[in-house]
Amino acid sequence: MTPGSQFLGTLRRRVAAPLAGIAVALAAWWMVGHVVGANPATANFAGFAPAPALLRLGAMIGHGDVVRSVAPSLFRVGKGLLFAIAIGVPLGVGIGRNQTLRAATHIPFQFLRMISPLAWMPLAVMGFPSWEGAIVFLIAMAAVWPITFSTAHGVQRIDPRWFKVARNLGAEPWQMLRTVVLPAVTQDILTGVRLAVGVAWIVLVPAEYLGVTSGLGYAINDARDTLEYDRLAALVLVIGAIGFVLDGACLAMIRRFGWSLEA
Amino acid sequence: MCDKCEDGSLLHTPLSRRQSLDLLAAGGLAALLAGLGMGQARAAEPVDGKLRIGYLPITDASALLVAHAKGFYQDEGLEVEEPQLLRGWSPLVESFAAGKFNLVHLLKPIPLWMRYNNSIPVKIMAWAHTNGSAIVVGKDTGISDFKGLGGKQVAVPYWYSMHNIVLQMALRSVGLKAVIKAEGEPVAADECALQVMSPPDMPPALAARKIDGYIVAEPFNAAGEMKAGAKILRFTGDIWKNHPCCVVCMHEADTQKRPEWTQKVINAVVRAEVYASQNKKEVAHLLSRDGKGYLPMPSEVVERAMTFYDEADYQSPKAIQHKAEWHNGRIDFQPWPYPSATKLIVKALSETVVAGDRTFLSKLDPDFVAQDLVEYGFVRRALDKFPDWRLDPSVNPGNPLNREEVIAL
Repeated sequence: MTPGSQFLGTLRRRVAAPLAGIAVALAAWWMVGHVVGANPATANFAGFAPAPALLRLGAMIGHGDVVRSVAPSLFRVGKGLLFAIAIGVPLGVGIGRNQTLRAATHIPFQFLRMISPLAWMPLAVMGFPSWEGAIVFLIAMAAVWPITFSTAHGVQRIDPRWFKVARNLGAEPWQMLRTVVLPAVTQDILTGVRLAVGVAWIVLVPAEYLGVTSGLGYAINDARDTLEYDRLAALVLVIGAIGFVLDGACLAMIRRFGWSLEA
Repeated sequence: MCDKCEDGSLLHTPLSRRQSLDLLAAGGLAALLAGLGMGQARAAEPVDGKLRIGYLPITDASALLVAHAKGFYQDEGLEVEEPQLLRGWSPLVESFAAGKFNLVHLLKPIPLWMRYNNSIPVKIMAWAHTNGSAIVVGKDTGISDFKGLGGKQVAVPYWYSMHNIVLQMALRSVGLKAVIKAEGEPVAADECALQVMSPPDMPPALAARKIDGYIVAEPFNAAGEMKAGAKILRFTGDIWKNHPCCVVCMHEADTQKRPEWTQKVINAVVRAEVYASQNKKEVAHLLSRDGKGYLPMPSEVVERAMTFYDEADYQSPKAIQHKAEWHNGRIDFQPWPYPSATKLIVKALSETVVAGDRTFLSKLDPDFVAQDLVEYGFVRRALDKFPDWRLDPSVNPGNPLNREEVIAL
C-alpha cells in the first residue's frame, strides 16, 4: 500500500464517512419535517424541522437560555453518576470476586435493573426531602447497573494467576485491590461509566418532571406544554451535543487508562 | 381502617390481586395510589409552618398562584415558599401525600379516590374555579353536534375527571355508548371510543387525526384552536351550569392541628378567587410567561383561555347556548363547594365508563361524601370576610350557599 492510498483511506474513514452519516441523518430529519409541514392540518407542528429548530437554537444560545438550562442538568447528571460510581464499583468488585455474593445478588439485581425510572418516582418523591435529591436518586438508580455489571465482568476476567502471584508476594487484600484488581478493571469501569452517561441523560428528562424549575428536562417539558416544537428540537440538539462531548471524554479516558493484552 | 363509616355504607375492601392488575393495566391513579399503599399514608408534618404549594401548568391553578403573585398569603401573615410546578397528576398526588406540599389543586374526583380508596386523609377546602373546559373537535371531522361523535375517537385527560363525566353525559343524551377499545378495533356508529391522553399531546394528535376530538381544561383548548385549527364543539360550562373542575385540597391534619393557620391560607385563596373573578385579563397576563411566568404559555393563549367567550365567535358549532341565561364566562372563580355538585359527581361517577376497577365507588354514599370529604367551615368564614365573592356571575346573590345543579345538553 502506497502512502498516498493509505492517506485516502484515512480520509475516507475519518472525514468522508462521518460527514456522509450526518448528511443522511439531516436529510431524514428534513424529510420528516417536510412531510409534516406539507400537510396543512399538521403544518403548525412542523417546528421540529431543521430550519426552525436551528434558528431557535441560535436564539436560545443568544439569550443565554441554553447555558441556564444546561448547568443545573449537568450538575444533576454529574452527581447521579458520582453516586452510581461510588456504589457500582465496590459492588461490582465484590460480585466479581465472590461467587456466593454473585449467586445471591443475581436475581434481585436483574429485577432491579429492569425497573423503569418512572416506577421509582413515587419512592423518590417520598424518600427524599428535596426534589434535587429525588432527581439525583433516579439518575443514580439507572446509572448504577451498567457500572456494576461492567466492573463485575472485568473482575471475573482477571487471570487467576495474577492473584496467585500477588498472594505469593505477600499482598494484603487492600494491596491486592489497589495493585491488581483496580488497574486490571479500569477499562471495564470506564466502559460502564460510558454506558451509564447515556442512560443518565435519558433518565434526566422524565426525572425533571418533578418539582424543579430548571434544567434541560424541565425546558423540554415546557416546550411540550406550549407546543413549541422548534424549541423542543433545539433542546434535543443541545442534549445530543452534550452527550456527544461526554461520550468523547469517556472514550478518551478509556484510551488513556485502558490496556489490552495484545498491546 | 374505616372509622368514619358510621352508616356502614363505606366498607373498605382491600383490593384483590386481580383488581390490582386491572388497575395497573388501566394505568390510572388507582395504580399509583395502590403503589403508595401505605395504609394510613403519612400526613404532612408542619415542620416549619411554611406554606408549600404544588400545581400543574393549567389555568385551574389560578387561585393558588394569584394569591402568591399578589402577596395575599403574606398579607395574612403566612410564610410561603415559591409554588412548585409539576407535570402530571401522579407526581402532584404523590408529593402531596408525602407531605411535600400542604396546598394543592386536584381534579375533583381525585381526592375522592385518595380518601376512600387509599385512606389518605385529604380534605376539599374550596373550589379552585368553575367552568373552564370544553369539548373540542378537529375542523375536518364535520362534527357539529354530539350525535356527530358516533363512531369517533375522543381523548379525555383522566378517567376520573369531571371531563370524562360530562362528556359521557353528552354521549348518553344522544344515545351514544361510551366504549374503550383496543387500538385498531372498529368503532360502531352508535359508539364513541374514549382514550386517556396527556393534555399537551391532544392538539398535535387532533391535527394528525389520531383522534377526532378531546375534552380538557384550558389552556389546551385555546392552544388547539390557535395551533391545530380545532373547533370548540361545546364549552362544559355551557352543559353543566357553573360546574366544579379543580378543587383546593389540604391535609386533614392541618385543619385539625393548626386551624388558625389553615384559616389564613383559605382566606388568601378566597381573596385571590374574588380578585381573579374581577380581573381575568390582568390575571391571565400575570400568570403567563410574559407576566410572572407561573405558566409556560404566552400571554395571548392564557388570555384567550380565560376571557374569550362570545356567542358570535362560536356560532358553528354552537358552543355557547346558555350564556344569556346563565351569565357565565369561559372560566369563573367562586370558592364555595356546593354540596349538591359533590353529590352529583359521586352519583355520576357510578354511571361513567372508566378503565379499571371502581367497586369502591358503588359503596360510596353521595350524602356521606358531601359531608365527610369537604371541609365547609374555613371557606365559609373566608366568604364572610370577602363578601364580594357573590359578585361572580356563577353565584346566585339571592341564595349564594345553595343551588340546584342544572345540566342542559
